[in-house]
Amino acid sequence: MKRLPLSVALLSISLIAFQLSLMQVLSIVQWHHFASMIISVALLGMGASGAFLAVRQDALRRHGSWLTPLSIAFSGISMAVVIPIIQTEIIRFDSFLIFLGGRDLLKLLTTYCILLIPFFFGGLALGIAFTHNVRQIGLVYFANLLGSGAGALSAVALMSYFAPSRLPPLLAILTLLGAALLLPRPFRKTDLTIVASGLIIAVYVFLAPDPLVPSQFKSLSRAMDLPDARVTARRFSPLGLVEVVKSSALRFAPGLSVRYRGGIPATAAVYSNGDWFGAVPDSTFLTPAGVLNFTPANLPYRFSTSSNVLVLEANSGENVALAVANGAAAIHAVELHSNVTTLIREDFACATDSLYFRPGVVIHEIDPRSFLESDTATFDVIVLPMVGTFGGTSGLTAIHEQYLYTAEAFESAWNHLSPDGVLSISSWIDYPYRNPLKAFATVVEMLTKNGIKNPADHIAAVRSWASVTIAVKRSPILPREVRAVREFCAELLFDPLSLPGIRNDERARHHRMMDTSFFALVDGILGVHRNALYSEYDFHIAPASDDQPYFSQFLRLKSVPRLREIFGDRTVPFLELGYLLLLVALVQVSAGAFALIILPLLLTRDQGKGRWWTLVYFGSLGCGFMFLEIVLIQRFILYLGHPVYAAAAVIGGMLVFSGLGSLMSSRVAVAPRTLRAVTFVIALFILAYAGILTPLLRATISLPFPLKIALSALLVGAPSFFMGFPFPLGLRFLSEHAERQTPWAWAVNGGASVISAVLAALLAVEAGFYLVTACAAVFYGMATSATVLQGGKAFGPAGRAA
Amino acid sequence: MYTIALLILLAIGFPLQDGYRQARDDMVRIQIAGRGVSHPAVLRAMNTVPRHLFVRSAWIDDAYDDSPLPIGRGQTISQPYIVAYMTELLNPHQRDKILEVGTGSGYQAAILSTLIDSVFSVEIIKELCIEASARLKRLGYHNVATMNADGFYGWNEHAPYDAIIVTAAAEYIPPPLIEQLKDGGKMVIPVGSPFLVQTLMLVEKRGKEVTTRSLMPVRFVPLSGDH
Repeated sequence: MKRLPLSVALLSISLIAFQLSLMQVLSIVQWHHFASMIISVALLGMGASGAFLAVRQDALRRHGSWLTPLSIAFSGISMAVVIPIIQTEIIRFDSFLIFLGGRDLLKLLTTYCILLIPFFFGGLALGIAFTHNVRQIGLVYFANLLGSGAGALSAVALMSYFAPSRLPPLLAILTLLGAALLLPRPFRKTDLTIVASGLIIAVYVFLAPDPLVPSQFKSLSRAMDLPDARVTARRFSPLGLVEVVKSSALRFAPGLSVRYRGGIPATAAVYSNGDWFGAVPDSTFLTPAGVLNFTPANLPYRFSTSSNVLVLEANSGENVALAVANGAAAIHAVELHSNVTTLIREDFACATDSLYFRPGVVIHEIDPRSFLESDTATFDVIVLPMVGTFGGTSGLTAIHEQYLYTAEAFESAWNHLSPDGVLSISSWIDYPYRNPLKAFATVVEMLTKNGIKNPADHIAAVRSWASVTIAVKRSPILPREVRAVREFCAELLFDPLSLPGIRNDERARHHRMMDTSFFALVDGILGVHRNALYSEYDFHIAPASDDQPYFSQFLRLKSVPRLREIFGDRTVPFLELGYLLLLVALVQVSAGAFALIILPLLLTRDQGKGRWWTLVYFGSLGCGFMFLEIVLIQRFILYLGHPVYAAAAVIGGMLVFSGLGSLMSSRVAVAPRTLRAVTFVIALFILAYAGILTPLLRATISLPFPLKIALSALLVGAPSFFMGFPFPLGLRFLSEHAERQTPWAWAVNGGASVISAVLAALLAVEAGFYLVTACAAVFYGMATSATVLQGGKAFGPAGRAA
Repeated sequence: MYTIALLILLAIGFPLQDGYRQARDDMVRIQIAGRGVSHPAVLRAMNTVPRHLFVRSAWIDDAYDDSPLPIGRGQTISQPYIVAYMTELLNPHQRDKILEVGTGSGYQAAILSTLIDSVFSVEIIKELCIEASARLKRLGYHNVATMNADGFYGWNEHAPYDAIIVTAAAEYIPPPLIEQLKDGGKMVIPVGSPFLVQTLMLVEKRGKEVTTRSLMPVRFVPLSGDH
């Protein structure tokens, strides 16, 4: 029966690829926060199927021959239809509205329930396949693992050819073909009808108009409300959906001087997954009269030599245009999104006056951090992308890893400056003040780390009515440069914010702020007591680090009561929405895990004594595994350059290698001492791994991408292989001593995994990756301790199978 | 003719308004005066203009609530307090000429219409402009002129203005608007995300000098429902 492994492989490919495409879809219609929630939903669906299987195992085993293909078929059908369903008006939720009442919260809950259906049926099919085909379990299990790994890789490959919403019906077709392979012969009319109907539905959904409806609060939705707005180009890749919008009312001039009297040309704008990505600079941007020359972003060019410029995260080329306008001889633009650079090169070559073909302009299609870590050149000016968005993002990027805004990234940039080079970073001024303060703090941290005793001597910062630009010079700023900055301010009606020898009366000459606390805060950051300020301020403004790369995570839970007093209950959630969405997700998946996995088993017959061991051992394995998976995804974002690559490499690698470990475990004799030894060794391994991973990734980040993928597989595979041992060993131990607790073990492990996926993400934001990794080790240590305490004695006759 | 129109208004319009008299009083007393707006003429204007006739029928019962409401095409009618506060900031005098950028429902223009002689209002979305223009005429605000155009360019034909009120936030302050401001003129403009916390900004022009002042954070809660 070779059809079963093939069918299982096809299902496994589809389930993992579907999971990754769901992450993309939710990033497009909402924001990227739902990645860890999707992992939870997948685990919840699989866990619920395990619980269902445990409760109804006799009946399911009896009808396994036809239930397996039908479960696969239902998994496929639901894959095809869930996205159009969750995008219907009645179910479609909006992240922004979740805190405004129960309706959108209920819609979010409904969305969870709908999304877990394909995983439930997929898990059910796998569960029945395993239990119904014990004799060829090795082959079936191998097919499952191989398929899962292939699913992760193929999802990334398919994303280059198909729009994210097209992938699920495509995967549904694959799944349904797997179901058809497995239909019992002779064919039953009902089975054939179900599979054929599923195929017709999947093809229909694949060909139907794109069902995705982005949130009304996304930048793209707002742009489409402008007169004659239209999408003129659309390209997709694993990095996201890129769309170009044109409208006669789309203009780009962030923080433009109020003295500027020229025109602001309408520009095309680029959006990635519905979020603002950049404006396409037209030919006027390339001249000294261009609008960007009248914004604070022009500061570094006004007081320093600028023949050799590095633009990090060049987006659609605005800062490249500004460098051209200032006569830079060599401009290195670093942008990972090759679809965008291709658009600027090809579709907008005329509009941008061949910006990317100009002599001296070099495009590097690579992640900016990888560029910084691998390149050795020095530059006169290094431009970082603007921090935040106009008016703030309401904390939507709070849980987004931003490796270009960490202390380590600034340090790398500093090392690329020529002796008199300038690092420039601009930020929107938000209220309450957060983004510019953290940018200042990161700059000051970088300077003090490099032995600069008085950071203020190296910083020139100017402020317009809405934005601030901080220029940090490697050598002290000279008096003539101070004069140049003052002239720049006087000419364009900007106010200096920080300069050597600045007077307080010149800081708000043209633009008065709501209160002067902003200046006191900036001075505090420049002073020696900055650490006290960081701990006292209502928001997190201390620099982010590679271990906690959440520049936009500002919310302090202890400040919430005070913020409620100032802004009121209905506003506070929107100050830092992203973090709160994660909390909501944690509550929802915890409730789901309890209701769908734990509760059904609690309601079943008594499982005998010694359940505490099962609870601690299998719960710890679930938590430990998932904590490491989440933290590895987050760490590999820096290494591989993008969350999708990281998720595919880590999820795929962990599944394949832990599966291989599971297979190998069958050769190991099971006894309490084996369980103790295995879990203890894993705990030690993870601790050691936590210590060496960062330097190892840093040392190899400059390798070519295919080599990094291979190394990632090795780095992810090493712990995963060993982590594949304790679960099957534990199950074997249970089957020998307390078989009736086996479903309980599945359930506890599933429930713990579901909750851990979100909990680990939350803990990473609060305490950093190292701590999350250490927690993973502690969980395996807990499994060791539980086994030591249990010693194989607690299982009495009640625990034995009848 | 005027008498007939007045009688028709009394017969049709006033009963509609009367039903919301108390709500309007409460709005002015609690939401507006209660928060510090004290300009007598502004308070009077807020108490006179029937806000419920500027919202969609589905939202009539919420017209006097302390929140913005959807008016279609992704646009909103501002929170009553913000309308009052922005109007007070302009300190309008009878003879002033004021430009509004973003007519929307026409409510802000109607408020200004009761305070000054000439209001000019520009709306970029054609459907909203047509609707607001018809509504203002129907309700008798004849000193409001509307134009469907990109507010970025202002309305040069009637410039210069004593004051300009901008109802939509932008990443830049449109240079033509500064140009069209009289020497000594003021412009009020919200800055920030259109859905969340914005800062109201006052722009003042004196000769070649242009200064800005951030005034207050404005709570702007996102809207649910069909808009």
